[in-house]
Amino acid sequence: MAKEMLLPKDPRYLKYPLDAPFDKEKARWIAFNCSRCSVCKWVNSWQVKSARYARICPQHTRYLYDSHSGQGKCDLALAIIDGKMKWDDDPEIKDILFRCTMCGGCDAMDKNIRDAELVKLYRWMRSEYIKAMGPLPEHKNLIDSLKQYDNVWLQPRSKRNAWAQDLKNLGIKDLNKEKADVLLFVGCTYGLSQELKPTILNIAKILKQNKVDFGILGDKELCCGSPPDKIGLLDEFERLATANVKRFNELGISTLITPCAGCYGTIRVEYDELPVKKQFEVLHVSEYLDRLVADKKINYQREVPLTVTWHDPCHMGRMGRPYVPGKDLEGVYDEPRRILKSIPGVELVEMERIREYAWCCGGGGGAFTGFKDFAQWTARERLTEAKDTGADILVTSCPWCESNLRAGGIGMDEKMEIRNLFDLMMQAL
Amino acid sequence: MAKKNTQNNERHQQILQAFQAALGIENVKDNPATMNAYFGDWLPPKLLGMSMPPEFVVLPSSTLEVQAVIKICNRFKVPFIPVGSNQWSLTGSPNRQGTVIIDCKRMGKIHEIDEKNMYAVIEPLVTLAQLQAEAYKRGLYIGSPEASATASAIAGHCFQGMWGVGYRLGVAYRNILGIEWVLPNGEILRTGSFAQDAHNGFWGEGPGPDLRGMLRGYAGAMGGFGMVTKMAVKLHPYPGPKTWPVKGTIPNQISVLPEDRFKWYIIKYDSLEGAINFMYEIGKAEIAGVVQKWPTVYYIWWWANSNEQYWTEWQKRTFQDNVKNAVGVCLWGFTSAKQLEYEKRVLEDIIKETGGKPIKQEVFDLWVPRTANNWIRDTHGSRMMRPSGTFLALRLQTDTLKYSIDHVRQGYAWVEKFSPPILDCDGPDWIGGYDFGHFGFGETDFPVEKRADDIGDLMNKLLAMTKEDVQNGLENGVGPFLGGPYHQMAAPVFNYENLLKSIKKAIDPNFVSNPPHNIDPNA
Repeated sequence: MAKEMLLPKDPRYLKYPLDAPFDKEKARWIAFNCSRCSVCKWVNSWQVKSARYARICPQHTRYLYDSHSGQGKCDLALAIIDGKMKWDDDPEIKDILFRCTMCGGCDAMDKNIRDAELVKLYRWMRSEYIKAMGPLPEHKNLIDSLKQYDNVWLQPRSKRNAWAQDLKNLGIKDLNKEKADVLLFVGCTYGLSQELKPTILNIAKILKQNKVDFGILGDKELCCGSPPDKIGLLDEFERLATANVKRFNELGISTLITPCAGCYGTIRVEYDELPVKKQFEVLHVSEYLDRLVADKKINYQREVPLTVTWHDPCHMGRMGRPYVPGKDLEGVYDEPRRILKSIPGVELVEMERIREYAWCCGGGGGAFTGFKDFAQWTARERLTEAKDTGADILVTSCPWCESNLRAGGIGMDEKMEIRNLFDLMMQAL
Repeated sequence: MAKKNTQNNERHQQILQAFQAALGIENVKDNPATMNAYFGDWLPPKLLGMSMPPEFVVLPSSTLEVQAVIKICNRFKVPFIPVGSNQWSLTGSPNRQGTVIIDCKRMGKIHEIDEKNMYAVIEPLVTLAQLQAEAYKRGLYIGSPEASATASAIAGHCFQGMWGVGYRLGVAYRNILGIEWVLPNGEILRTGSFAQDAHNGFWGEGPGPDLRGMLRGYAGAMGGFGMVTKMAVKLHPYPGPKTWPVKGTIPNQISVLPEDRFKWYIIKYDSLEGAINFMYEIGKAEIAGVVQKWPTVYYIWWWANSNEQYWTEWQKRTFQDNVKNAVGVCLWGFTSAKQLEYEKRVLEDIIKETGGKPIKQEVFDLWVPRTANNWIRDTHGSRMMRPSGTFLALRLQTDTLKYSIDHVRQGYAWVEKFSPPILDCDGPDWIGGYDFGHFGFGETDFPVEKRADDIGDLMNKLLAMTKEDVQNGLENGVGPFLGGPYHQMAAPVFNYENLLKSIKKAIDPNFVSNPPHNIDPNA
């Protein structure tokens, strides 16, 4: 008779508890199973192309101590959960938790060797920290703004629609009043930033030129909930996200498109945690336009003779799909590259760390608003890597990446121009 | 935590100030949250309370700063542990109050890669993956252990170095050349050609006795003999591409090296004896770049991309029924594609003569692209932990290939005896062939469930295993005896106790260099 197999007693070793609620028990499971293998600190070794660009974690690279890494955060979670430390034992706990861009680099590398969700662990830790210690003073403006104005930029709601006034003659639909197939979800930053306003105008023009049946929510649009989600204000995230999904479902749209990587990752992935379910497809604008490019519907008129490099925003890439253990960490990697290659005259050259191995711009996880020094240091690392490709410009499609990379570049000896993908596209149309 | 009390202690403040004066305030930490990240490991000691947080973590940036730190440790008689990349922290977990971790995060330079003379000069943080990447660009290579390339290349060269390509280029510790090294008493020692010229490390021997043996032994000195701050390591000619070929997305990446220069075979035998005979014959013919007899569990540890896939395939016996007694061989066309063609013909003759059979093609196709090249450049090594939270190893032993058979068979018996807590693993019997089959390395690795409530019982059983392991080491082969407790047991038996204690006393008079590693001179 065949001997009975000796399998683990704990069923979580047989199958990762993906669907279990993310509570203290799940947090402990992830932290407990950290073996200190350190893959969270480095680019997956098959992908390391040079000694210079071998690191994946901005926080660990900047602050050096192991406490400031995925491994260190697992150690901290375990100590807190097991009662060996308290949140107020050490003021540095705040830095360990929040001087992190939540970029998911560690998380992606870790997923090669074990089933775990490190970024979700950090989010849970941030939430628990805030419950015990209160919100961070560094995030006060952001939080006040969300509560008062439903956006992150301390701007009145009425300003949210200001960009569209320039396009009145285009006849963009107001989905509060009429129906359309596609909702263009603009996001707080593209909607309210003067610096980034040309991009959203260009996107609307490209969509119109291609007769896409789309509309906007104008001043009724709320924040997607990404910033409160990343900084641990989970109640605030739930409030915004729930209101959004209900509203989007009511619109009867087939597709929501957004140019913001943060909004995209949040609506596409994080909204899956809500009791109310999405009844529409979620695409980044680059995914939507890539389909038009593939169908040869985009008629370029001009050459753009530039050598460009593409920066993968974390929330379009490795954080842009729900996690399924064992399945590819897919994301929006190929679509923007195909668009770039479709633009006459553009030559794409790649940085060493791309796709799921991309180095973060530094602007995520509340770092852009709360810890500018760290955010901009991280950006400079990326800009140096971009410069090393020989590219004329760096192209991306995330307002946080654009803004933070520009801020990081100030004062650098070698300048690198930052452009949005859709602005470059428009230049050729 | 205990740290809170020590921070206010006057002696603690004196040590803190001394470190800060030597390194700068930002490069010294003593706060609980930082200390908490420096005593975890993959073994059970942390869970059982056998390790504890350090009192300080310091980040020197140069040999002189390391020297200053070690001198301060001697002045205050506090123990220090030098760590490399601190991966897995095998012996880097403090077990004494007041420990100082010397973390080399600011020592990550590759000083030089001399292409013509084929060596690199590196600092302790440089990982095997980094050095490999730079070597490949220059048509050169080093190996990496199958777990893992994120380890410090210096530490990796001192510790075992039983990497896949060791069959061809020698185990890693034989590739050490010049060393710059701060002894436990704070003296700086330069060996090999570094002794004449601190910028030239191409030669390893002398002057005088070859002191490299102190560091490498078989499993390194475990931080018991100070800290290496710079090392020259040998590189080897490489016929592969300048950038490692990899396709796909995590966790399903595949790597296929150019087929005109690299060719994998996995050949199965009816018995372990048959498999080992095959390894001998390959060595005699002086062909191949990698020759390994992996245990069943290795195939699936490195291959499975989720816990569910691991245990599903294990219960389906996908690997148990197909790779038992199989040998993995990678032929390398070092000089040309013609060489590979020649080696293929030789290998195919050997397979015929020894009665080997290729494993099923579907299993080969399933396994090789995702996994095989891990033995040339590791990326999946830490998957060993996935199925049960941790794994353990016993019976790490060097012997001839022939006697490695007995060695791993004894391992089977011990695994059987202690199952559970050891989980199903189909007789773990790794035998690596090295130096063209001159010797073999046997290891018994198995999954155990990382359960806090079972861990005490498990540790008792492991201690029993260890005792048997040491006793067995007297009969067959030479074991590595990993650091303090092992040397303590083994040194009297192998009659190196006095020698090792004398050296330790001479260079570590205050017994501060990662005690009790590598031996306690007063025990």
